[in-house]
Amino acid sequence: MAFISSGYDPKEPMKDRITDIGPRNYEEFYPPIIAKNKGKWAYHEILEPGVLVHVSETGDELYTVRVGGCRLMSVTHIREICEIADKYCDGYLRFTTRNNIEFMVDSKEKAEALKKDLESRKFPGGSFKFPIGGTGAGITNIIHTQGWIHCHTPATDASGPVKATLDVLFEHFQNMDLPAQVRVSLACCLNMCGAVHCSDIAILGYHRKPPMVEHEYIDKMCEIPLAIAACPTAAIKPKKVALEDGTEVKSVEVNHSRCMYCGNCYTMCPSMPLADKEGDGIVIMVGGKVSNRISAPKFSKVAVAYLPNNPPRWPEVTSTIKKIVDTYSKDARKYERLGEWAERIGWEKFFEKCGLEFTHHLIDDFRDPAYYTWRQTTQFKFTD
Amino acid sequence: MATVEFQGKTFTVDEDGFIESYDDWCEEWVQWVKQQEGIDELTDDHRKVIKVLQDYYEKNGIAPMVRILSKLTGFKLKQIYELFPSGPGKGACKMAGLPKPTGCV
Repeated sequence: MAFISSGYDPKEPMKDRITDIGPRNYEEFYPPIIAKNKGKWAYHEILEPGVLVHVSETGDELYTVRVGGCRLMSVTHIREICEIADKYCDGYLRFTTRNNIEFMVDSKEKAEALKKDLESRKFPGGSFKFPIGGTGAGITNIIHTQGWIHCHTPATDASGPVKATLDVLFEHFQNMDLPAQVRVSLACCLNMCGAVHCSDIAILGYHRKPPMVEHEYIDKMCEIPLAIAACPTAAIKPKKVALEDGTEVKSVEVNHSRCMYCGNCYTMCPSMPLADKEGDGIVIMVGGKVSNRISAPKFSKVAVAYLPNNPPRWPEVTSTIKKIVDTYSKDARKYERLGEWAERIGWEKFFEKCGLEFTHHLIDDFRDPAYYTWRQTTQFKFTD
Repeated sequence: MATVEFQGKTFTVDEDGFIESYDDWCEEWVQWVKQQEGIDELTDDHRKVIKVLQDYYEKNGIAPMVRILSKLTGFKLKQIYELFPSGPGKGACKMAGLPKPTGCV
């Protein structure tokens, strides 16, 4: 398309420049009923999966219909969301912190009509555009990252595995049939953008091969001290290398026996790539939570050291997650989060019940704190 | 990598317009980046920032942290942005011929 100016003058970039105005004030976008009852809510109920009602001290009722969102969405899709909001909600809507979409109306009849419309909308391929659910003790949306769509350091994809996993767990999105809510998150490398370190089930992209060092370019493209300092295990040291043509250049040497393939050096230095088709895969972590309800927040722990990248459906990953969710669902007590359940029955029983193999990869060996993760007691249970 | 021809010199640059090698830096490169960054006139203050960046890079192999740049030049961050509208990384480091900033930027 031919260039169409917005009025910006590249010859005078600072002229008429507006800056530091911040985001719009959220109160501008309140539905009237929310603006009116702000700070006066008395109680709320979950009427059915995906539908909430909040009742105010003034007697006003607010019905919320929560629908799944794919997070990565086109303007066409956002326009369709707006069209629904215009039709039923006077043009108001909101997105949740797990990237679901919430439509709000002031009566039950309007909520019913809205639900019927939402359920009828499908993509040409057959998947629901706006599946209703994500409330209560079920499985809501998966917090995820960029993957092969946009990032340069991923060890796996994000949108692909998330679609495959949510297809497998879809019944739990539309039902509230678990002991407590199960939060699933995905990060495509161990930068862990998002919530994988604190989720009930976490899917994490993982490398298994050390970086390649492009000696010819490293001193030109990288600030070498930064690459050295980026390594958590001090596997990288500076080294002078002679190229094929005889010129001596500054470079680095990677001690492969110290490298655990975190990829931090590649983040700092473009000349140390490490992505590998066969080497890369997925780690499954379990048992994290962020709420303070009953027990304190927990980090998730590594439960499966490696599953292969198997696009487009990642069957090994989805079947493992299904197995963990099914076992938890059968065995845990009401209100018990996955991490609380595993700690109550003991991790050895968690591995036995879920049928997961315990390998030496799962034993912490990172610096002094690793010691505290070992068992310094005679209390344990025999397993099969 | 793309090449740029300017005032009789040829530079190899990446897609963000950073020079391929610090060794290729020269006065013509400064003039080229000046034009690219929309800087009207190169003042002594611009030169001072570039000199500090280059001295620091040659000595330490890294670009200085912003607070160190401020301390060494005596310019507050606000003044550095007035000199280089794109900021110390995309503006000043590019003009000084330093490698492109990396990490989660």
